Amino acid sequence: MTARIITSEPEAVDRPPAPRFAFDRHTWKEIVYLLTNLPVTLLGFVYVVTTLSIGVGLAVTVIGLPVLAAGLLGARLLGRAERARARGLLGLRVEEPSPLPRASVDGWFGRLWSGLKDPVGWRTMLYSFIRLPWGVLTFTVTLVGLFVLWPVLPFVVRGLANADRAMARALLSPSDELERRIAELESDRGVVVDTAAADLRRIERDLHDGAQARLVNLAMGLGLAKEKLLEDPDAAAVMVDEAHGEVKLALQELRDLARGIHPAVLTDRGLDAALSSVATRCTVPVKVTADLPERPAEAIEGIAYFTVSELLQNVSKHSGARSASVDVWRSADRLLIQVRDDGRGGASLDKGTGMSGLADRLGAVDGLFVVDSPAGGPTTVTAELPWRDRA
Amino acid sequence: MRVVIAEDSVLLREGLTRLLTDRGHDVVAGVGDGDALVKTITDLAAQGELPDVVVADVRMPPTHTDEGVRAAVLLRKQHPGLGVLVLSQYVEEQYATELLAGSSRGVGYLLKDRVAEVREFVDAVVRVAQGGTALDPEVVAQLLGRSRKQDVLAGLTPREREVLGLMAEGRTNSAVARQLVVSDGAVEKHVSNIFLKLGLSPSDGDHRRVLAVLTYLNS
Amino acid sequence: MTTPTQHGQGYGYRDAVAGERRRRLPAGLRAPVEARTFREFGYLLLSLPLSIMTFVYAVTMVSLGAGLLITFLGIPVLAAALAGARGFAAMERSRARALLGLDVGSPGPLRARGHGPMAWTVALLKSGESWRNLLYGILHFPWAVFAFNVALVFWTVGWTLLTYPLWQWVFPMYTGQGGIQLYGDGAHDIYLDNPFEITVTAVVGLLITMAAPWVIRALTWVDRLLVSGLLGPSRLGARVVELESDRGVVVDTAAADLRRIERDLHDGAQARLVSLAMDLGVAKEKLAEDPREAARMVDEAHGEVKTALQELRDLARGIHPAVLTDRGLDAALSSVASRCTVPVQVDVDLPARPAPAIEGIAYFTVCELLQNVSKHSRATRATVDVWRVENRLMLQVADNGVGGADAAAGSGLAGLAGRLDAVDGILLVDSPSAGPTRVTAELPWRRA
Repeated sequence: MTARIITSEPEAVDRPPAPRFAFDRHTWKEIVYLLTNLPVTLLGFVYVVTTLSIGVGLAVTVIGLPVLAAGLLGARLLGRAERARARGLLGLRVEEPSPLPRASVDGWFGRLWSGLKDPVGWRTMLYSFIRLPWGVLTFTVTLVGLFVLWPVLPFVVRGLANADRAMARALLSPSDELERRIAELESDRGVVVDTAAADLRRIERDLHDGAQARLVNLAMGLGLAKEKLLEDPDAAAVMVDEAHGEVKLALQELRDLARGIHPAVLTDRGLDAALSSVATRCTVPVKVTADLPERPAEAIEGIAYFTVSELLQNVSKHSGARSASVDVWRSADRLLIQVRDDGRGGASLDKGTGMSGLADRLGAVDGLFVVDSPAGGPTTVTAELPWRDRA
Repeated sequence: MRVVIAEDSVLLREGLTRLLTDRGHDVVAGVGDGDALVKTITDLAAQGELPDVVVADVRMPPTHTDEGVRAAVLLRKQHPGLGVLVLSQYVEEQYATELLAGSSRGVGYLLKDRVAEVREFVDAVVRVAQGGTALDPEVVAQLLGRSRKQDVLAGLTPREREVLGLMAEGRTNSAVARQLVVSDGAVEKHVSNIFLKLGLSPSDGDHRRVLAVLTYLNS
Repeated sequence: MTTPTQHGQGYGYRDAVAGERRRRLPAGLRAPVEARTFREFGYLLLSLPLSIMTFVYAVTMVSLGAGLLITFLGIPVLAAALAGARGFAAMERSRARALLGLDVGSPGPLRARGHGPMAWTVALLKSGESWRNLLYGILHFPWAVFAFNVALVFWTVGWTLLTYPLWQWVFPMYTGQGGIQLYGDGAHDIYLDNPFEITVTAVVGLLITMAAPWVIRALTWVDRLLVSGLLGPSRLGARVVELESDRGVVVDTAAADLRRIERDLHDGAQARLVSLAMDLGVAKEKLAEDPREAARMVDEAHGEVKTALQELRDLARGIHPAVLTDRGLDAALSSVASRCTVPVQVDVDLPARPAPAIEGIAYFTVCELLQNVSKHSRATRATVDVWRVENRLMLQVADNGVGGADAAAGSGLAGLAGRLDAVDGILLVDSPSAGPTRVTAELPWRRA
């Protein structure tokens, strides 16, 4: 699920503050990283060259293949150590790759084969192989810089460290994106199917408890009135009057239910009109700006509508805001929604809140949901949906 | 007639109460869920004041599924003399089968819509209170449609099928005659024809007759 | 969704038409002059120059990239190599589609995390498809050289020898020898010059010409393997594409369901209630002055309410039948069956209840199939069976009607198949034109 969860504090760890003409904690850590590059890369290089030459050299005899497989397993460990070093000193968070998959073919040979084609191991090998000259370079530059480039060293160090970050991110990050994507999509599909089924059950229940009950009562009242009409016209008049009131209530209930299912104005006129109509029912004055060149696919439009309407409900209920705004626009192949209010903030995506339900729903269609709501306000909620054109 | 009503919608509960009171019946208690219904009846029975009939909704809190049916089955087992009329927004033949399991004495299962015909509805309540049967025409249609004896049923004339349906709803001969605008004698003739064609031995009394028909359809 | 790759699908139709005209010739005689043979021959001839280009490109870029790896500059070079390989792959796929009729799906677009050249480089280096494309660039070359030579030799030698009687006169007239020299060591020379030898040569030529199409076909068979193995989408990639489309279908279906319900409510109950409100309003006014008219209006209103209730009940059942939630598939399906115009026997044999979503899909599938039975089959009997096999929920609806149902595009069955497909289900229709019809659906089993 890609619902990025951002509360008031941005990703502080991943991105250190901009370099200054001073040596702060980050700079010192980076210097340590760059200086340790030399021994570490040397070790890695020697390891890779040794295992590769032994493994490949002996590959002609059968013994080379297990050696190579063991070497790749070792490379995985090397990669883990490198990720830990980058995490500790560069503040770089790279996800751990999935463990070696279980062999599809059982037995000794199956395990060997799956070890030999382990892409993570091979990429770590590559990483270690190309890093030696870079390690020499960073070591030298940093060491020399410590003595002669003292004033600008923070900037130099940041530049070198950024190159290191890029390398680590490219070669040490997990490569099983397709597998992860498949797992994510399967769960997404499950979420969508289950929510749809739950939606239908809720609607059926609402109908049963609301309009249907009211109509039964109305039918009963009218039945009685009909009988009395000629014998006791006064009592009958009261009953007809009551029934008239009931019908109006039943209509109101049905209308609310229908709007909750899918507002007709959304089908007929699109997001702008539908959102304006939601805004007028909000207890807080809301300014709606929808800037869309054309209408997106119906499903996307529906999700966008219900997202805004739930967010505005939150604004009415919890924010204590005096005004709010809704912006909807398109950026490349994404539909963006932003709801802002000047309330007291403190909204969170904790489990069980309406917000986390929204994040799940959006996540299931590759949407994003970002909440920025520091205590004391203001709150900005941004949602992003994939843009699909109308069929 | 003393009635207990179990219905979670306050609106409907009051409506039903008014309707029955208006007709001179005594609504002893009104409750909102299945457990409360069973408890109320148990309490009343302990005081020796078992009501004549219970009118219960199917879908009630806490689970909003089939509380009413389950409570009705339980009450019928505990108090064989108690009439139970189950009301619902939809009728399902499965629930009817569960309610009728064992005996069709003092059982009713109607769509809520039927309260619109006030007189017929109150008649049905009274019938159930007196140990009769009141099945919704929709249930009967489902029973007829689902029955495995289609070949035999196909042998009935359209009018006989009509009479069979009305009989299965729990109506007496004269009620059937009134509905079809024919004489009592004509109905008698249809009934004996039906019993002959279905291979049932003619039985006296409306209740036993209904039971025979329902057992036949369900077998 | 398993779409079997259909070889030669592209021009199957045209071949059928051509075959109609040459029905008189047996396949063996037809082969050398068939359009298909020429296309395949053309493919093999084109392979050589193209594969030289790709090979040179791939080897140069890879060795350059690998050599530069030690300075880190190699990474972008390798990425460029991979990007180029993807381009070549696209070209090769369309060439195979045009000339071999081989329909290999193109892998999805590159998935970069974020924007910018860095993200693209990373994505390229990580995509297994690009590496396989590069591998194709290298592997295809030796094969193309071999296939080119073999095909060309067979083709030219065959036709040359076959037409030998026609141009044999060239030898005595211009070269001073009797014909093609078969053997010669100075002392001993054998020329193909007498009528018997010329005839034999032509016959041999005929045999080779006849064999050439099959040799060519065998050669392109290896090409097909290479293309579908190395240029097609990977198994995982294909699954991602399928799941993305599934998810789209599921989302759209859910949205469409809600719109339909809203419309039904609006056109049905809401409209009826509005007219009811009006009737009652009028009745209220008339009550004092014209009690008889008022009574009529109240009576009408009463009728309207009953109809509205009936409509709402039907609508609610179409949304989600309460008995399904309460009692599960057996009870719900029996209830549907009892409303069907045809006698239906329902047999549900499930050890437990599946997840509500799966139960709902199964229920609505049977409903729709039974509706088809009522409407189109003219059956007098139908059966519904539901059971579980390992981790699949199986449904079967059979009737003894006229048959001829098919899941072609646009039919109700096709819509049903699409909905099932989106949750990894399958719909199989077996309905010969005189009946009986048997529709089997399979859904993944998920526990409640």
